[in-house]
Amino acid sequence: MTAISSSEALGGSQLRDWLRHHGWTLGVWLLLGALVVWYSTLVPSFGGFELSLIVNNSLPIAFLALGQAVIVIAGGIDLGVGSMMVLTNVVAAKYMEGESFAVAILIAVVLIAAAAILNGIVGWIINVSKVPDIVITLATLFIFAGFALAILPSPGGGAPGRFRWLFTGSESGIGRNAWPAIIMLALATQVVGLWLVKTRNGLSLYALGSDPTAAYLSGVRNSKAKILSYAIGGGLAAMAGLATTALTGSGSPRLSIASTATLNSVAAIVLGGIALTGGIGSVVGASGAAIVLFILNPILTARGVDPNSARVIQGLLIIFVLMIAGVLEQRRQRRS
Amino acid sequence: MICAIKAEALSSGVISEIKMANREAGITEQIADLQGLIAQGVDAIVFAPVDPEALNAVIEEGAAQGIIMVSVDSRVTTEAAYVVSNDQVAYGANGAKWLFEQLGGEGKVVYMRGIDGVGADTDRDIGFQAELEKNPGIEVVEEVFTDWSPATGAQQALEIMNSTEFDGIWTSGIDYTVVPQFEVAGVDYKPVVGADNNEFLRQISDLEDEGFIGAAVTNPPAIGGVGTAIAIDLLKGNSHPQQTILDPAVFDMANNSEDVKQMYIPTLDVGSSSYIEIEPWTTYDAQQVIDCKGPGE
Repeated sequence: MTAISSSEALGGSQLRDWLRHHGWTLGVWLLLGALVVWYSTLVPSFGGFELSLIVNNSLPIAFLALGQAVIVIAGGIDLGVGSMMVLTNVVAAKYMEGESFAVAILIAVVLIAAAAILNGIVGWIINVSKVPDIVITLATLFIFAGFALAILPSPGGGAPGRFRWLFTGSESGIGRNAWPAIIMLALATQVVGLWLVKTRNGLSLYALGSDPTAAYLSGVRNSKAKILSYAIGGGLAAMAGLATTALTGSGSPRLSIASTATLNSVAAIVLGGIALTGGIGSVVGASGAAIVLFILNPILTARGVDPNSARVIQGLLIIFVLMIAGVLEQRRQRRS
Repeated sequence: MICAIKAEALSSGVISEIKMANREAGITEQIADLQGLIAQGVDAIVFAPVDPEALNAVIEEGAAQGIIMVSVDSRVTTEAAYVVSNDQVAYGANGAKWLFEQLGGEGKVVYMRGIDGVGADTDRDIGFQAELEKNPGIEVVEEVFTDWSPATGAQQALEIMNSTEFDGIWTSGIDYTVVPQFEVAGVDYKPVVGADNNEFLRQISDLEDEGFIGAAVTNPPAIGGVGTAIAIDLLKGNSHPQQTILDPAVFDMANNSEDVKQMYIPTLDVGSSSYIEIEPWTTYDAQQVIDCKGPGE
């Protein structure tokens, strides 16, 4: 986690301070740890297959949560990320089919850049038009999904085995090697997390999200920060689309996939401790929460919970966690 | 589908537990769910695939771990799975043939398909197009995808009835919400091809006097029960061909009015299939499916 270095030589007050800032993130990862341990007791054996099941399948939603996190931290919200994921997925699957690994990588890089530019334009439109984020991005949710359908009218396409290995540790997408996915996710989380808290541009996103006026007065160019947040969010949504391509070896242009993914990304950041009002939270929590949301599925299946109730349980969990957060926040305010 | 699987497992008497995974699944979710079930160390997995190819790797993984993998309803291309499917090409062709015969080989037809790109839809289209080619007098005036959603199909049908002249409708199983639209739009009944949905069977027999003609082409979700029966048989050590294909039958009032009336089950949901007991495969009775209880429930 990003801030461990700042907690060297922990004094009591420093520890309290660290916990105050990172307690939520720590809690999310502890919850995840507990869920993994629980899951391991529900299966006959827990090994590479089970681990890669969890990490690989969490990748798309984790990348999407990272992207959503960056945008929400900067005070926005992007309902279009799910469609951006689907759009990238179908373009990648369409053009990577039958190509070499090198070409696939080239396509991936181009797609990430294109998605960043496209979503940056969305951020720019929000800025110029002053129409609320939620309205513009609700439109892009449909628009990007429409593009996806136009590009690949029915499911299909493919991806070279080595490209699939990058995200799944297996050329067929199914295997026992969880490391590539773990490294991929850890790397993305670290890079985005460090960029947000260690660079001027990154900090400007927090500033914009917590108080646009104060940010402006302290020299942040709000329009630039906004566009930057959407561009990075778009690039990460493209990563989610590439991960989907690697996992499934095909492209599916369905709006239902996009809207579900968008909702999951919002759920993940909320669970991950990022305030929807902007300016507060860490992407480390968001990526952990994305895995938490995924692992609930195999756990509930293993427990024999009816699939319909499983959704209710997921929803209740989010409400429950938010209520705890509210209580903690109130107690903190009363004390200080 | 799920109820037929539960009922067959219950009636077999040899299954101790059923684990279910079911989300509004895209390919990603279904791969993850199959992996989750494999991790559970189950003996057999019965699944309805959303894609003919994308699941192959996970199916092969399951088979390699000694799990009997049975794909029902749609086909998958890997030979690691036993495939139990309705003959969807014949489904498309049989219904189209009936409809084109009703029209005397000449007329305008509305073609209401399922979900674009899903194997069953593609296959039904092959059958439909083959019949269309044999009937040069038939013209498709509207082609829409209902996404197999009753509400969507109803809305599309109403819009078409209000704007287009046609002589008959072929639906990919979105039927019982289409039929009432004739009255809403104020147009005369035209022949409709649908599936074995309970409410559609009622409409076929009840609306006969008002001039409605319909045909139900069987596409039983109880095929899940057939898949379960085969999985259980395989677990007992018997062998089965890799492919089992059920041939869809056509029911209408002119040829089998008694069957149409008998298949309608008043206590069953409107959208549920009433073609439940599939010989010679299933061992349950219809009531067990309606009760929807598996072993240990």
